[in-house]
This record gives sequence, structure tokens and C-alpha cells, in this order.
Amino acid sequence: MSVLTSEWLKIRSIRSTSLIIGLSLSAVLLGFGLAVMAAGMYDSAPVDRRPSARISDLEEVVVIVPQLCMGILGTLAMTSEYVTGLIRTSLTIVPRRWPLLGAKAAVVVAAALVIGPTVVFGTYFLSRWVLGDRFSGAYTVAFLDRLPVLATVSLTVPVFALLGLGLGALLRSTPAAISITVGLVYVIPIIIGNIPEPWSERLGSLMIAALPRQITGDGNANSVYGSLLPPVAAAAVLVAYAALPLLVAAWLLRRRDV
Amino acid sequence: MVRRARGPPSRILYGVIELQHLTKRYGGTLAVDDLSFKVEPGHVTGFLGPNGAGKSTTMRLILGLDAPTSGRALVNGRAYTSLRRPMREVGALLDASAVHGGRSAYNHLLSLALTNDIGAARVAEVLAQVGLAGVARKRVGGFSLGMKQRLGIASALLGDPGVLMFDEPVNGLDPDGVRWIRDLMRSLAAEGRTVLLSSHLMSEMALTAERILIVGRGRLIAEATVAELTSRYPSLEDAYMALTAGSVQYGAAR
Amino acid sequence: MKAAVSSEWLKLRSVASTYHTLGTAALTVLLGVGWTLYVSALADERGSLRAAAPEQGFLPLVQISLAVLGVLAVTSEYATGTIRPSLAAVPRRGTLLLAKAGIVGLTTFTAATTILLLTYSVSRLLASGHNLGFNTTPLADDLPSLLASSLSATALALVGLGLGTAIRSTAGGIVSVVALLFVLPGIANYLPSPWNTRVATLLLPNIVPQIVGARLSSRLGDGFLPPWAALAVLCAYPVIALAVGYVLLKRRDA
Ligand SMILES: Nc1ncnc2c1ncn2[C@@H]1O[C@H](COP(=O)(O)OP(=O)(O)OP(=O)(O)O)[C@@H](O)[C@H]1O
Ligand SMILES: [Mg+2]
Repeated sequence: MSVLTSEWLKIRSIRSTSLIIGLSLSAVLLGFGLAVMAAGMYDSAPVDRRPSARISDLEEVVVIVPQLCMGILGTLAMTSEYVTGLIRTSLTIVPRRWPLLGAKAAVVVAAALVIGPTVVFGTYFLSRWVLGDRFSGAYTVAFLDRLPVLATVSLTVPVFALLGLGLGALLRSTPAAISITVGLVYVIPIIIGNIPEPWSERLGSLMIAALPRQITGDGNANSVYGSLLPPVAAAAVLVAYAALPLLVAAWLLRRRDV
Repeated sequence: MVRRARGPPSRILYGVIELQHLTKRYGGTLAVDDLSFKVEPGHVTGFLGPNGAGKSTTMRLILGLDAPTSGRALVNGRAYTSLRRPMREVGALLDASAVHGGRSAYNHLLSLALTNDIGAARVAEVLAQVGLAGVARKRVGGFSLGMKQRLGIASALLGDPGVLMFDEPVNGLDPDGVRWIRDLMRSLAAEGRTVLLSSHLMSEMALTAERILIVGRGRLIAEATVAELTSRYPSLEDAYMALTAGSVQYGAAR
Repeated sequence: MKAAVSSEWLKLRSVASTYHTLGTAALTVLLGVGWTLYVSALADERGSLRAAAPEQGFLPLVQISLAVLGVLAVTSEYATGTIRPSLAAVPRRGTLLLAKAGIVGLTTFTAATTILLLTYSVSRLLASGHNLGFNTTPLADDLPSLLASSLSATALALVGLGLGTAIRSTAGGIVSVVALLFVLPGIANYLPSPWNTRVATLLLPNIVPQIVGARLSSRLGDGFLPPWAALAVLCAYPVIALAVGYVLLKRRDA
């Protein structure tokens, strides 16, 4: 318990934590802005074109901001200790290495579990309020029908936090861990979009952004992502993204010199 | 004019550091407060003061790393930042840990040397001088505290400068290294160089320095020769304790 | 200036992260081989096929890897503290930044051009005899696009250097280039038209198609910039980022 408190203090005192959290939360404003612009466009469109107007799910557009930010927070929670040499002190105070990693994981997940849902649901409700009954589809559907997707999408944020933490502990380098996180979220999906079928769909089903809608069984129509996985498998893949780097890191942390 | 003792006099070594009402404020902290003094060549000048007195800040201001809030710091009558090849006039060791752990000692020094048109031969020379020739190609990340300290001293010596500043260079050195530093400082001064040395080790300072500057809370408290101080007080340490009694900010509660 | 440039060149050569970032960018060649073999096999099955050219499909990998190289060229100095010795050796801060920019610019331009040309030639060699859509035009027609692509990677590396100087943090520097390269374009896609195209036309990933007169994407259609204006916007990115970095570097304490 005291390890948790200590990690919580450390995370809070990383110079950039408040900036990262602020940036994450600003995604709600971004979603709000996009909704306002979309509403304006809808209202200025000729009446006969309105029924065919479509809008993307804005919370899924803006969620990449908290995803990336929490991934970085997870990475910094680990790598900032290596940069400053504080890790040696930390491991002298908490010599058992797994509790240290576990406490860091608990703290970043806790932060991400607040921020993820705040951004996703905040964007959803704001957009719903701004858009009213404009656009058929996303925001005119009953909230309860959308709840499963919204909930799983917000769960991807803690997954990123753990992924960032695991990569940070594994690689012990801020640029390397952040670059791989960025590669997973941005670079690989662009490349997959260019691959011809059937591999585009196969690999596209494994991307983090493709998983929430496979878990809820909604499918990923109109995107570069595939939907070949049954819900249970998709959930397993999502868990693997968070757990695999962390487990390898935990194993290494025990075996490596600090 | 004092010239270099051995070899042909490559150039004049006479140098001087001069502070004129130097003041530096960080937000609410007055780190250096209207400091004026002159550091002259030919002897080691000890720079003393309690933790947080402003010694390191003063050195950063002299090197133009931080900008003074008011006043100025001059080296050989000019602002450091206006020197064309500054390492040939001033050498400084501020923080020995400021090295990229992935680079070799040789590459670290060479990257600094190149900026001031100093050749690779001189890099090898200073590495040998500080006793690191054997590990010149090793990653600095694997160096011990004392080895890093020696590397920092090597970087100060690179340009064979007339003015040298060392911020706590004896930290982490073995007894052999401590004596080596003492002899090095004294011989650098004997060659006619200006040497400003900060340290908290009073006994070492008494053996190394001839003149002493004591600062506290950013202000100059005393400027005297070691001989004057030790004639008035039992030892340099007693002199220091008495003079800084009112200026200690981070002392243990008694 | 020449001295500062050769020092920066040594600094870049003597750290492992340079080779990691260049190696990651160079993965493009291997990925291009795999890509070409895969689509060639598909073309054999299906007769013919329209695939994206590998040097275009994998361009984001080259861009982001080299951008990270640019960021690290300066933020690693802040992370390790070597920025102080560096600035003590080269007190003119503009000179230091300009030397870094020269070396980062040359290195990344050479690397990007080599990698893209290699990817181009290897894939065209492997693809000969197949009709893959991307391998029907002669090299002379593709050269402008290849050149614009490597210019865009160079520009991004310099943006990374400028923003890294301004932010002084590796994480912050990488995030800001990621924002320019991926996040903003991703969000611009979702703006209601015509704002999506208006905004996207100015964003980095869409500059290359506009320089060679291609459309941005099926969703965004044609950009608004004529080739010369697109080239000017591409140059404006690093110029603005480096100017911001310079002003802050000049004004702040090191
Ligand atoms: N970059 C900075 N930002 C804010 N405050 C600073 C900064 N650098 C120094 N200070 C403050 O200025 C004062 C003088 O610090 P300085 O490091 O110069 O002391 P010092 O005499 O070198 O101490 P020590 O003997 O412990 O090395 C301290 O109160 C310190 O907190
Ligand atoms: Mg100090």
C-alpha cells in the first residue's frame, strides 16, 4: 500500500504529468469543436441531401489523444527513473522488483481509468447534445445501445498506459518506447491500409483500434481495420497488448542488473 | 606578464576573471546578489560558501550559460560569449556527470575539441594527463564517479587555457586522485594561470589555495589570503565557520 | 562554424540512437522487398493488380524515424546535461543550433534519398514482368516524387530539431512531430468538407502529393497548392520550428 502511495507521488511529480493529463482531457474540447462544425455543415446543406449525411463516431476520432498521452505517461513512469538514476534508489527502498512494477502499473491504470471514460463519454454526451437529431446513425441511437462500444473504447486507454509502461520497462529508453507506441497506433495502420486483401483485413483485425468493435460484435465497416475476430478472441488480443510487454518486462526486471 | 614555464611560450597565459555587481535572480530566489570581485593569475583562488550560496550559479554566469539579471562577468576583459575560441581562454568543470553515457571518453572530448579547432593529438594528451588513456574508447556510462570527475577535468584542460574554473573537482576521487588534483591546481597556477576552485573540503583548500573568496546567500562575505585567515583563526575551517555562521541556509537543526 | 559542424557530426556519429533511428528507417528497404514479393504473387494469381508503391506506402516509417533522430540530436543533450559543456564550447547559440541543423539536415536527406531510391530500385527489379500498377512509369517520371518525399523527411527531422530545442524534452519533442505527422492529419480528415481539404492542404503528409501534382486522397480530393507553393510550405515548417527553437534557446538560461 505504501508502495502505491509512493508511486502515486512520483507520478504526480513528473514535470510533464499535468501537461499530459491536460492534453488528454482537451480531447473533449476537440470532439466538441468537431461536433459544432459538423452541425453547422448539416444545417447549411440542402434539405434533400441531409438524410444521406453521415458522421463518424467522434469519441473514436478523439480517443487517440488520451491513448497516446497515457501511453507516454506509462513510459515516463518507468524511463524517467532510469534517466535520473532514481531507479537505483527506488529498488533499494523496494528491493522486490515486482511490487515496484505492480505499483507503477496500478497507478497509471488508475489515472487512465479516470481519463479514458471521461474523454470518451464526455465527447459522446457533448456531441449528442450539440448534434441533437441531426445525422442518422451514431448520435440518434439510444445511449444504452451505444454503451458497450463506448465502454470498450474507453478501456483501450488503460491498455495503452500499460503498454507504454511495459515498453518503457522493457527498453529503458524514452524515445524507443514512445516510438514503438507511435508505430503501433499510427504507422502500422497506415501501412496496413495499403496492403492488398486478404492480409489487409487479417492484420487490420489485430490493431488496437479495431478491437473494441470486434469485442462488442459491431464490426469495423468503412475503416482500414478488419473484423475477423470473434469477441472473445478480440478481448484476448486487447489484454495481450497490455499484458505481454509488461510480463516480459517483469521477467527481465528480475534478471537484469539495474 | 607571466609566461608558460616549459616549452616555447605558445601564447600569453595571463588571464583574469572580473565580476561587476553580478546579480542573478531565479523567480523568488536571489542566487547571486551584487557580487563584485577579481580573480588574479599565479595562484589558486578558493571559492567557498555554504550549500546554495551561489558558487555554481556564479560559474554558470561567468560562462554565459545563464544570463545575469544585472551586472556583468568578464573574462580577460570580455564577455565569455564574445570569445571566438573560448576553450582556449577558459576551461571549466561544472558537473562531471554531464556526459552522454553512450559516447566514449575520446569521442566526448573530441566533440568538444573540434568546436575550438583543437586537434585529436591534444585530446589524447589530456586523456593521458588525467590517467584515462587506458579507457579512452570505453563508454562513459560505465565510468565510476572518480573517472567521470577526471574526464571533466580533462575537458577543462583541453584548450590549454589561461583561466580555469573547477566546481568541486575532488568529489569522488581516491586519495591518490585528491593529491593529484592538489598538485595539478598548484602547478597550473604556478604556470601563471588563473584558477578558481570551489570545494567544501577545508583541509584540502588550506593546502591548495592561496587566496580565499567566501560567499553566503549570494553575497561576498570575505576576501583574504589563507595566511591572513589562519593567523586570525586556529584553522581555515574555523575561519570558514565563524565567517559563514550567519549565512548557512540549509544547516542541520541543532 | 566549420568547427562547430564537424563537432556536431562527431556527436551524431558517436551515439547508438543515431544508428537505431537510421536502421529503423532503412527497414523500409526490407519491407519494400516483402511487399513487392507479396503483391507480385497476388498479381500472378489474379492477373493484374493496382498496389501502392512501397517507397510511398512506407514513407511514414522513414519520416517518423528521421524525425526522432532530429529530436534526439538536441534533447539528448538536455537529458544528459551535455548542453552546458556544448554551450560553453560554442557560446554563440545560433551557431550551435545552425551547426546541428546542417548536420541533421544533410544526414537525414542523404539517408532518406538513399533508402527511398534503394526501395524504389529493388522493388522495380523484383516486380519486372508483373503488372502491379506502380511499376509502369519510367524513373524520370517518379524522380520528382522521390525527391519530394526525401525532402519531406528532411523537413520533418529539422522540425523535430527545432521543436526539441524549444521543448527540451525527448517525449515532448517526439509527441510534437507525431502530432504534425499523424494526429493533426487524422483529425483534419474528420472536419466537414470543404474544411477538411482546406486544412489538410497545409499539413505535412499532404505536401508531397501537391508538389508533384497528385491528389491528396480519395476522401480529400485535390489540394489547393500549386507545386511551388507546396514546396514553399514544406520549407516553412522547419524554418518556423527552428526559429522558435532559436529564440527560446537564445533567451533561456542553459
Ligand atoms: N536553475 C535554477 N533555477 C532556480 N533556482 C536555482 C537555479 N540554480 C540555482 N538556483 C538557486 O540558487 C541558489 C544558489 O545555488 P548554487 O547551485 O549556485 O549554490 P552553490 O553555492 O553551488 O551550492 P553547493 O555548495 O550546494 O553546490 C540556490 O538557492 C538554488 O536553489
Ligand atoms: Mg554548487
